[in-house]
Formats: sequence, C-alpha cells, structure tokens
Amino acid sequence: MIVEGTHFFPGPREVVWTLLLDPDVLAKTMPGTASIVRVSDDRYEGTMAMGIGPITAAVFDVVITMTDRAEPEHYTMQIEGRGKFGFTRGKAAVTLAPDGAGTSMGYQADLVVGGKIAAVGQRLLDSVSKLMLRQGLDAMTRELEHRLAGGAA
Amino acid sequence: MTFGSYMGRRVLRLEDARLLTGRAPFVDDVDLPGMLHVAFLRSDDAHGLLRSIDASAARHRPGVLAVYTASDLGDYWRPGPLLVPPPPVPGLVFHAATQVPLVRDKVRHCGEPLAMVVAESRYVAEDALEDIVVDVEPLPAVADLEAALLPDAPLVHDQFGTNLAAQVHQRKGDYASAKAAAALVVSRRFHYDRGAAAAIENRGVVASWDARAGELTVWDTTQAPIPIRNGLASMLGLGESHVRVIAPFIGGGFGPKIMMFYPEEVLVPWAAMRLGRPLKWIEDRRENFYATTQERGQIHDAELAMSQDGRILGVRDSFLHDTGAYDPYGLTVPINSQCTLLGPYVVPHYDSEFRAVFTNRPIVTPVRGAGRQHGVFVMERLLDIAARELGIDRVEIRRRNYIQPDAFPYDHEILFQDFRPLVYDSGNYPAALEKAALMIGYEDFVREEQPRLRREGRHVGIGLVSYIEGTGIGPYEGARVTVEPSGMVRVATGVGTQGQGHFTTFAQLVAEQLGVDVASVQVTTGDTRDFNWGTGTFASRGAVVAGSACHAAALKVRAKVLALAAPLLGAQEGDLELRGGRVAVRGSPERGLGLGELARKANPLRGAVTPGTEPGLEATCYFGPDRGNAASGVHAMRVEVDPETAEVKITRYVVVHDCGTVINPMVVEAQVQGGVAHGIGNAFYEQLIFDDNGQLMNASFMDYLLPTALDVPTVELAHIETPSPLNPLGVKGVGEAGAIPTGAAFAQAVEDALAGTGVEITEIPLSPSRLHQLMVRARGGAR
Amino acid sequence: MNAQHPIEVTVNGTRHAREVEPRLLLSDFLRHDLGLTGTHVGCEHGVCGACTILLDGEAVRSCLMFAVQADGHALETVENLATGETLHPIQRAFHEAHALQCGFCTPGILMTLIPFLREHAAPAESEIREALSGHLCRCTGYANIVAAVARAARYGPKAPAADDAR
Repeated sequence: MIVEGTHFFPGPREVVWTLLLDPDVLAKTMPGTASIVRVSDDRYEGTMAMGIGPITAAVFDVVITMTDRAEPEHYTMQIEGRGKFGFTRGKAAVTLAPDGAGTSMGYQADLVVGGKIAAVGQRLLDSVSKLMLRQGLDAMTRELEHRLAGGAA
Repeated sequence: MTFGSYMGRRVLRLEDARLLTGRAPFVDDVDLPGMLHVAFLRSDDAHGLLRSIDASAARHRPGVLAVYTASDLGDYWRPGPLLVPPPPVPGLVFHAATQVPLVRDKVRHCGEPLAMVVAESRYVAEDALEDIVVDVEPLPAVADLEAALLPDAPLVHDQFGTNLAAQVHQRKGDYASAKAAAALVVSRRFHYDRGAAAAIENRGVVASWDARAGELTVWDTTQAPIPIRNGLASMLGLGESHVRVIAPFIGGGFGPKIMMFYPEEVLVPWAAMRLGRPLKWIEDRRENFYATTQERGQIHDAELAMSQDGRILGVRDSFLHDTGAYDPYGLTVPINSQCTLLGPYVVPHYDSEFRAVFTNRPIVTPVRGAGRQHGVFVMERLLDIAARELGIDRVEIRRRNYIQPDAFPYDHEILFQDFRPLVYDSGNYPAALEKAALMIGYEDFVREEQPRLRREGRHVGIGLVSYIEGTGIGPYEGARVTVEPSGMVRVATGVGTQGQGHFTTFAQLVAEQLGVDVASVQVTTGDTRDFNWGTGTFASRGAVVAGSACHAAALKVRAKVLALAAPLLGAQEGDLELRGGRVAVRGSPERGLGLGELARKANPLRGAVTPGTEPGLEATCYFGPDRGNAASGVHAMRVEVDPETAEVKITRYVVVHDCGTVINPMVVEAQVQGGVAHGIGNAFYEQLIFDDNGQLMNASFMDYLLPTALDVPTVELAHIETPSPLNPLGVKGVGEAGAIPTGAAFAQAVEDALAGTGVEITEIPLSPSRLHQLMVRARGGAR
Repeated sequence: MNAQHPIEVTVNGTRHAREVEPRLLLSDFLRHDLGLTGTHVGCEHGVCGACTILLDGEAVRSCLMFAVQADGHALETVENLATGETLHPIQRAFHEAHALQCGFCTPGILMTLIPFLREHAAPAESEIREALSGHLCRCTGYANIVAAVARAARYGPKAPAADDAR
C-alpha cells in the first residue's frame, strides 16, 4: 500500500520538525493513538487502534524507528505494527521544505498490510488510511497554530 | 445388456427427506458428552522464520485445557505423506515437500497453523489464540511464478536450492517439423488464476477416543474416509480395525476434501487420545480461504501450428503451474492440464512442458476440473484465434480436427494422471458439435441475428467450445450387497457422498439386478465400519468405479438367488425371474419366494449345508478399470456485453454432453447445471487475489464473489451416449463436466461480442472491471 | 467465565429459558444449546444465507444476531416445517424438483421461502431468482431450486396427496 502526498503547515520548519517528533503531540493528533512513548533517541513505541469495515477496533502495538535524520529537512521511519487483527510494516519518508512563511511537507510511505485486516478490509484500507492521515495532519496543523499563538505544549 | 426398470430413470432421491427436514447429520452436528473445542492460531505472514512461540499465557486462561505447538508434538511431528507420486514420465524432475502439522521453523503460507488450542468452547479457544505470543521474522515472499525461478529469488524450501517443484516434458511426434510445415503459427500467453472450491460447508473433524475399548472414532468432512482411517491408524499406532472414520452427510466436496492428512485431521485425533476427551474442530469461512486447498494459477506460452485449411499440425505448450507452498498431491493438476489440452482433436505433434513452482500461497490440489480447464482454455483459444486469422468459421475449424467416431480407441501417446497412456475409449464429437450448434442457433445467429443486432449498436456474441474430460480412473472401488431377512437390501461401499446422489443412483443399479423397489435398497457410504477398502470420491469416478462394483455385487447376489431358489422352487434357473422383491417362475408368480424369505433360508441355524456354499444372499465385488475413460461435450453460450459498464449477461447456455450410459438423468443434468454455475463463477466472478507478499486480499464472501441465482442461467442440456467399453455399465463420469470448458466458452463469446474492438481475451477470470480495462486498452492502442 | 444473561425464546412453539453469554451467536445457540442442528452455518458473515431462520415470521440470518437479541421473540427453524413424517409442501416441491444436492444450504433457503411464498402466490421467475439471490449454493446452479419454488407456489399451503407425474 503506497501512501503519499504533501501538506502545508502554516509555520516555520523548525517548529514543525519539533512537533512531528514529539511523542505527546503524536499521541494527541494521530487518530486512534492511545499512547506513544519515546523509548530512546531513535525509537518510539505505542498502541494504535483503527476501525476498518467489519473490524471496529483493530488494536496494534506499534514500533517506529527513525533511520535517517537530517534536522530539519527530512527523516525516514521504519514502521512495525502488530496486533491480533494483522500487521503492517514498511518505510515512510518525510521531507520538510520552506514554503513562504510556512513549511511544505512531503510524505511517502510504502506499507505491507497483512492478516485479517487485509483479508476482509482490503477495499477500505486505502480510503481509511488516507482519512486517518488527513485527520492527523489537520490535528497537527491545529497544534502548530496553538503553539505559535503562545499556547502551552 | 438390456436394462429393466431403473437404468436411465429419473428416480427421485432417497436421501432427500433427511436433508430437507434438517435431520441429516453433518460433522458439526456431532455432539458428544464432555466434548471440547479446538481453534488454531494461524500465521499472518506468508513467509517467515518462526523465532519463538510462547503459549504460557494461553495455557493459563480459564477454560483452556491445552495448547500445543510443534515442540509439544514430539515424535508425532512430521510432514504429511506424499499422496500422489509423480507419473513415470521419462526425465521428470520432482521435489516433494508436504505440509507440516504445526509450523516448527518456517512459515510458508498465510494461514499455516502455528498452535492448537483446546478449550471448553470455540469462543474461549479463540480468546486464547490472542494470548499466544509469536515472533516471526518476515522474509520476502515468493509470489510471482516467473520471478520465483530467477536465480536470486527467495526460496520457499531451502533444501532444494530452487523453487522448482517439478519439471515434466511430454512429447509425441516432432513439433519442430510441424511448425516448419505450417501455413500459420499462432502463439499467445494465457493466464488462468486461482479460485476457491468454496463448498458451503467448511471442513471439520470430531474425534473421540474410547480408551477402554482402544477404539478411535473420527467424523471428518473428507471425500476419502478409508485412506484417512488407514493413515490415522498408522500414525497413531492403532490397528486399522480400531479406527473408525465416518464421513456423514457432507456439504459439498468439489476436490479440497480429498486432500488428505490436513494438519487438523492429524492433530485433532492425536489430541483427543492424549486428553481422553472428544474434540471438535470446525473450520470457519476465513480459515477456509487459507487452510483448505485451492486451485489453479497457471501461465501458458502456447503455440499452434496450422495448415492453410485449418488442420492442426502440432501444438507446443510451455507452462508454469503454481503449486503453492507444498505439493502433497503431486502433479495431478498440471498433468491434467497437459493431457486435456489435446481435447477431442487429432494433434499429430505435441510438445508440452511444464514447471510446477513453489510459492508462498496456500497449497494447490484438485478443485472441480482439476487442471483440465487450463488445457481446454489454451486449445480452444488458440483454435479461435487461428479460425479468425485463417478466415474459417469457429465451428468448422473444430469439425475439421475432430477425432472421428470410428477411430476409437484413440491413443494420444502421452501419460495421464492415472499413470496410464492417454487413450480415449469412445466418443462422438462431431455429433455433439452439430447438436450444440443447432440448439444455440449458431448458423442463424452468425448469419442474420448478430449482424442485425450489431447494426442496432448491441454487442452480442456466441461462444462454442469442445472438450474432453478424462473420468472414471482407478485404482478401484468395492461394494457389498446384502439381502436382509426383512427383504430390505443393504449396499455398502467405500466412497463417500457429498451431494451427488449415490444413495439413489447406486440403489438404482442394485434394484435393477435384484428386481426390487429402489426404495427398499439402503446405501451406506463413507463409513469405514461398513466397508473396508476404497480410495474415495474424486476425478468424476464414483458412478463408474463404485457404481460398477455395486453392479457386479448385485449380479453375484442375483446369481446366488437363482442358484438357491431353483431347487427350492423345483425349476431351472433359466425359468426364474426376479421381480417385485420376489424370485418366481416366469408365468407362475405364485411359485415363488420373497427375497427376504430366501435370505433366511440361506442362513440356517442348524443342519448341514452343501460344502462350499456361502451363507446368506450377500456378495462383495471390486472394480478397477484398466484406465480412465473419456467423457466429452460441447458448451455454447450467448452473451450480451454492455460497452459502458463491461457487464456481461449470459442470455442462453447450452450443453451437449456425453457421459456414456446415464443411470439417472435427473442427477446428471443437475451435476452439469451445478458445474456450469461453478464455471461461470470461475470465469467471471471469482478470483483469489494475492498481493506480492502472499497476503490474500479477499478472504470472505463479501469480496470473493460466488455466483447467485441472478447470475446463472438455466442450462439447456442434451445428451449423447457413447457407452464406455471399459466398464460393464458403459458409464462415464460427469461431476466436473459443467465446470471445465466454461472459461473458454466465456472468452470466445465475449470476444465475439466485442469483435472489431480489438479486445482479445487470454486470461481467466475476467471481472467486469478487468474487462473494462481491456476494452479501454484496446480502444487506445492499435492492433 | 463471562457474564450470563437470562433470555426466553420460543422456538418452534416451545419456550426455552436459558442463561447465555452476550456474545453467543444466535446460530450457535440454536445449534448447540438447543440441539436444533438443521440450521447450518456457512460463512458467519451474513452472505451465504445458510443460517436463515424466521424471527417473528420474517427471515433473518442467525449468524448475524446474538442470542440475547432474540429474547422475547418467536423463532422458527427448518425442523418445524414437516408434520411428523409428512413433508411441508415446500419440502415436497424441493424433493420433486431435485432442488438439493448436498443439502447444506437448503434449510436456509426453505426458511426464506416461507414468508416469500406467503406474500407471492404466483411469483414470476425473475421474482423467484431475486428472492434466492441472498443464498449461495455451490451444488445445484439454482435452476432446480427456481423450478421447485414455482412448484411450491402452485401447491399453495397444501401439497397434493399423491406424487405428481414426473
């Protein structure tokens, strides 16, 4: 499954970078994320839940490993998610470029999805993951605006 | 031989009442005191190394009695037997790799079992599956047949150093010379893809161990109860007479239930013995998509060499066959493809080579058609293309190449799945073709109707294809016929029944010979307690092989009746007749005895008998044909294609069919109708879609589409009968006939409907979206 | 052990009072708790129709319901159709039209047809096929089932005493 696109953040690159790598921000903004903890410099672990078709709450244990970091320009992540409903794994690459007063984010992820969730939810995987991503990025944008307006982290 | 009252009669089925009232027992209906339930943890990965598996939490869950992983099986863990060795084709390469009961080191397909949980209910057992912690290190999956054979491909079975499961080359004549002499050479690549058998009843096993009697009873949705009994006895260290396997009523077989020694089949009885409690495992539908075998991915690169006047000079075919992660069933499916390609045609030169390839997908074993559809598809498509390019009518080109009715037995000189030379016993292909063409109105359609409708902008087409189905192969089956003192006649045979009407058709055969009412004949199938020898229902052989055994046993009982009754009635055997359940002097019915009475007389409690006589009126006979026979037929369909939506509507479907002597036309017609429905499903609606990681994308009926009553027309059927000289009844098999040529007919008809658009169909299945894609591509590109 | 709920269901005219887990499927309740194994399970996701029964006279898929949802309702299963040894006219029609082979999907189809034939005294073939479209059969190819329904409609509520000429 390929997920790729761009998103515009109304704020400077350095702030966007910080938000994207902040586990508490990720937990708050990514839909279905119950918790994410940064266990080491490069490694995040957490739990996520997705609803796909007939499976209303597929819970995954997620491990994200940063493999390639060049602050504040780009990073690559290895993603591994496993749960009783199946698994997902793959790589995602994120690039940040200045865009006027804001930042243009480019993302490209190539994910393998398997197990029950792939077997019975196949038709919906694409649209659900795009929806979740959209919701996450919109929430991230709101968080960014909140920070820039002087709000607390 | 002359047939009396039951051969060829539409006798209503004796088994219906039990099925209609819900009283017929299926495996999941078995309920035993203290019974526990089994669930299997199955791999989500298609390919990977099993690093560790920890079932301790699962074992502690309340309600769970045991959890087994590969290490818990000890010496019992071993790969299953190779069920079908490869045929003795010179130069054959074969790597045998059979399925394991639980994964020990490597996962090789999605759904492979990792652990077995035994609990108080299936619900609790499934809860416990989530407690098991599994660490699988994923490996790149082998998914593409061609990529699998490249030197750097990941290996499904490391020990072979290759993913090549087999290589088989069969030849007759010299294709190169045929090609050199050809006026036209047509060559194409054809794709045929996987489908599931999808019987509405999933698999299941119930096992009960009586420790005091030392007896194991197993209920199993198998098509082969006797081999299962023998295998389990051997594996579990029990005498064969101490194991009873019962295949009660089975909700559809279609092939995968003849795959034997599935992991669940070998584990549930073993665990029942260890735990001392009856165990039940019933497969659910999602499991069925992985854990039950399926069929039929192949890629063919085929070539047809033709003379200017449309005669086949030779065929060359090189194909890849997807055998899945293991190959326990040997090469039955691809050999069938290889042989069935020759069809009803004279093919002087043939060069066919296939390579079977291991992939990280579920195991492939025969599913209705068992590889024959691929051969038919390739040959029929090549002929259609040749017809178009030579400007010869499609029906005519077939007519010109048929083996003629006076040419039998016809030897194709290559080896068939029963390891015997492919020799056709009888047939009349031209007659079937003429009849089918007439019934579907071929001439009028091509000449008048189609051009007229085309001018109105409608896309209508006809497909007409011809095929051979090798049926009735050995090795053998047996039957025992017994007249009881009550007058009831009992028949027992080793095959099982999955809906094909054995309880009625076998009763007809016996009633015919014994002159009794068919309703007084009680047939038992599928219970190893009642019959001890046999191989199972597969390859369209039940009526031929088991039927012939029933017939032979009935004849023997008939002979005993006459021999016993003649002196008792003071008459010559030749003066006696069997009618209405009695044996009596012809013309003086009062000088007679009821068969039940005679049976009692044949079993005296006291006194002396003539030495050498056998008690009762009973006989057991076996039948093993010298080789399989050749059923055949022609399918014709009319379709209309919507150019916008690519939806295909089948407006008429004709089948002219030859299965030799027909025992019960009602049963035969229904088998063909059902087979056609299956074929339509395979051609247009059904496709198992795997991704590059071996993940099945549509493991449910929501996304794997079976045809419904709205999709399947009523078949117009006609019979042709060319009796087989290979068995006394002259019957040939019919179970798979409906499903075999449907893809080829479909492709021809749709292509005909879209003639002029440049669409050429070289793949099956063909969903509306795929057809649409082909139509768009043809519009865009030049041809 | 999960919490048990008391339910009372009337099945084929008999009242049953039981305690069940909330997640127990109605199909499992009928087959294993009540021993009414005539209703079969083919897919457990509501597509094949083999598990169809009547709930207050309407056809429902018992694999898509929980037993607790049937509390207080009247259910009818295939076991209720025949009277002693006498087949219901629909069953009779299926037998005469050879509308079943393995018989696994048959009980579900019969139950769908009970309300259908109640509401359609003389259904056209297209209406029959439409009514059957929610049932999957892998054996018959549907043709004889369609014929059986037409025959059953002609019989009405009572089948003729003697066999029809074949």
